[in-house]
Amino acid sequence: MFIPRLKSLAIGALALCVAVPAMAQQVTLAHDKAFWDPGWTATAAEAGFTPTAYPTDQFVGFIQSSVAAGTQPGLFTWWTGRALDDLAASGGIAPVDEIWDKAIADGQFPEGLRALFSVDGKAYALPVNVARWVVLYNKDTFAKNGLSEPKTWEEFEAAMATLKAAGITPINATVQDGWRGFIWFQELMLRTNPDAYNALHSGELAYDSPEVKAAFDIWTDWASKGYFSDPRSTTEAPDFAGGNAAMYLMGEWVIGGLKEAGMDVDNNLGVFLMPNRDPAMASTLIVEGGPLVLSAKATEADRAAFEYWATEKAANTWAKSMQLFNGNLNVAPPNPVFGEVTAAMSEKDTVAYQRWWEAVPTEIRGDLVAELSSFVLNPTADQAAQAMANMQALNADYWANR
Amino acid sequence: MGDRSMSDSELGALDAERLGSADVRQRRRNALTGALFAAPALLFVTSFLLYPVAMNVWYSFTAWRKFEGLGEWAGLANYQRLATNPNFEAAAINTGIWVIASLVLPVALALALAVLLNGARFSDTAKTLFFLPRVLAPTAAGVIWYYVYAPNGVLNGFLSLFVGPVDRGWLFEDSTITPAIIVAFVWQTVGLPMVLLLIGLAAIPRDPIEAAQIDGATPGQVFLHVTLPLLLPTILVVVIISVLAGFTAFDHIWVMAQSFPGKRRLSLTVLMYYEAFTNNAWAFASAIAVVLGGIVLAVTWLQAVLQERVDRMLK
Repeated sequence: MFIPRLKSLAIGALALCVAVPAMAQQVTLAHDKAFWDPGWTATAAEAGFTPTAYPTDQFVGFIQSSVAAGTQPGLFTWWTGRALDDLAASGGIAPVDEIWDKAIADGQFPEGLRALFSVDGKAYALPVNVARWVVLYNKDTFAKNGLSEPKTWEEFEAAMATLKAAGITPINATVQDGWRGFIWFQELMLRTNPDAYNALHSGELAYDSPEVKAAFDIWTDWASKGYFSDPRSTTEAPDFAGGNAAMYLMGEWVIGGLKEAGMDVDNNLGVFLMPNRDPAMASTLIVEGGPLVLSAKATEADRAAFEYWATEKAANTWAKSMQLFNGNLNVAPPNPVFGEVTAAMSEKDTVAYQRWWEAVPTEIRGDLVAELSSFVLNPTADQAAQAMANMQALNADYWANR
Repeated sequence: MGDRSMSDSELGALDAERLGSADVRQRRRNALTGALFAAPALLFVTSFLLYPVAMNVWYSFTAWRKFEGLGEWAGLANYQRLATNPNFEAAAINTGIWVIASLVLPVALALALAVLLNGARFSDTAKTLFFLPRVLAPTAAGVIWYYVYAPNGVLNGFLSLFVGPVDRGWLFEDSTITPAIIVAFVWQTVGLPMVLLLIGLAAIPRDPIEAAQIDGATPGQVFLHVTLPLLLPTILVVVIISVLAGFTAFDHIWVMAQSFPGKRRLSLTVLMYYEAFTNNAWAFASAIAVVLGGIVLAVTWLQAVLQERVDRMLK
């Protein structure tokens, strides 16, 4: 009786001894992107990490408090721009320049991509997602209405007029989930005055300046002509996939959602870069980066799992499982759109601009986007004036206290 | 021997001492047993209520924002910010509307339902039906009602049958969003006060009612002068529950106002969440929580005093 018990005890102790180092080696990748689950599962199987999903609000709170307490997870997703600046300044993440140096030398990533994931010249993240913000369009709808991809501003406006006359909503745009109000503001600022677009983010330009008003005037005009879909819809991507509108300005990450909603993205989804109002202006495009960061207290196992994301293998698994592009030069495009965008950017020598969401101060971002959403819901000249005045009040107050 | 012997009084004192020490030991044992029984609850309340509340009060006096300022003393700065925050006033007014609505509507409706269903035919089925929404998670109820109020939803479809095409965005307009969410809230919460009032009604003795009826009182007079006063203690409990629910309403608002640009102004709880989880102004959000908690505490205390007076009056 005693001996078998002793044996069990010994086996238990042995199991514990084996389990403890194994547990210590466990790598956690925390993220707020549960909608990328198939991608996390596929990559986790290759790199040996455990993906842990949180709702976005709780995720931000968890990371900020865990960094303050020094207990942050080994790997976690974050945002570029000001959010990455804050995180790097906190000292909670490790610089990863040597990983970038090697990846660039190995031909994995272009040198130009590094800046998006850097703070003050130091790289702090690897990309899990690089989304170019382009105009997606329904090829069938365009063909039925005798339209081809617009190359100029005038052609774009003419295409919208043709579609509207045919009873088709030209552009799919909503305020779903409260954050999408900035999308057309960002695009119209970039297409009319990219320098002004950048100056807004550093507080050098007022939100009620003539440059901003010019963008709002175009926006108001297009809305008055009925070029935008019902902004109150809460099924934005499925609306477009179902053919409710002809064009959809969004990051490439939406393509997976369109496919899931039943759209034949391989054959019926077209893409073009939104033309500039002035054809003499340089080709520009909003590029959104989805960064993965490495804790300043990372273990060797954490680092190994992190380095996996700089490989072609990770990029291909990610692309196949999620239809997502992480900027890797050797990845097979997950669908034709990605290849076309890359080719168009290369042909036009397109300059990348940061997304408004990541570029504006996070302290006032929520209030600013609420003003833009109010305009999307009520796109009149009066509401535009109100939005500009309110945004400038927030902006001025923020920069006055810096 | 004689020297060693003790007098009766000495023996008595010794016995008393022995008995006393036994009594003390017993009392100590009882106290220890009591403490052990209370320990899990005390530990739970301290860990998950008192400690977080104390920490929240502390954070409200710091400069904690995003990753920094956690240990930095900011004095009353966060409380001063409340006065200048453009959203605080609107959120406080809307919270007031919520408190009044959640007090008047569920209590009045629950009282009407309880009186109608008390002893009525099929009352069990009706009670179950009215209580059923209560078992849903508030977020699930919010999602259901979101689609009721959607521009192409059930409500607009129903109204269109009578007044022609209706394309109202009930959850996208300042004037309709709060009443719309309150309706969803009342739909879900009316079941509990109804059940409590039904229990209260069942506990009312028949004698005073029968006496009033024999004296020729009409059903209305019986209800107003006999039933209602005797139901007052239960009504007060329902009032306390409803007022607290009004102050702390969050889930329905958060879910149903997800795409509404002015959602941060819809209640103090939403503003608190927004400042914490969207703006990451943790210390400022803590100050909102302290203010809200203080108001709720004061109202609860007032109601407790009122209840005591009612109890005394009824005795």
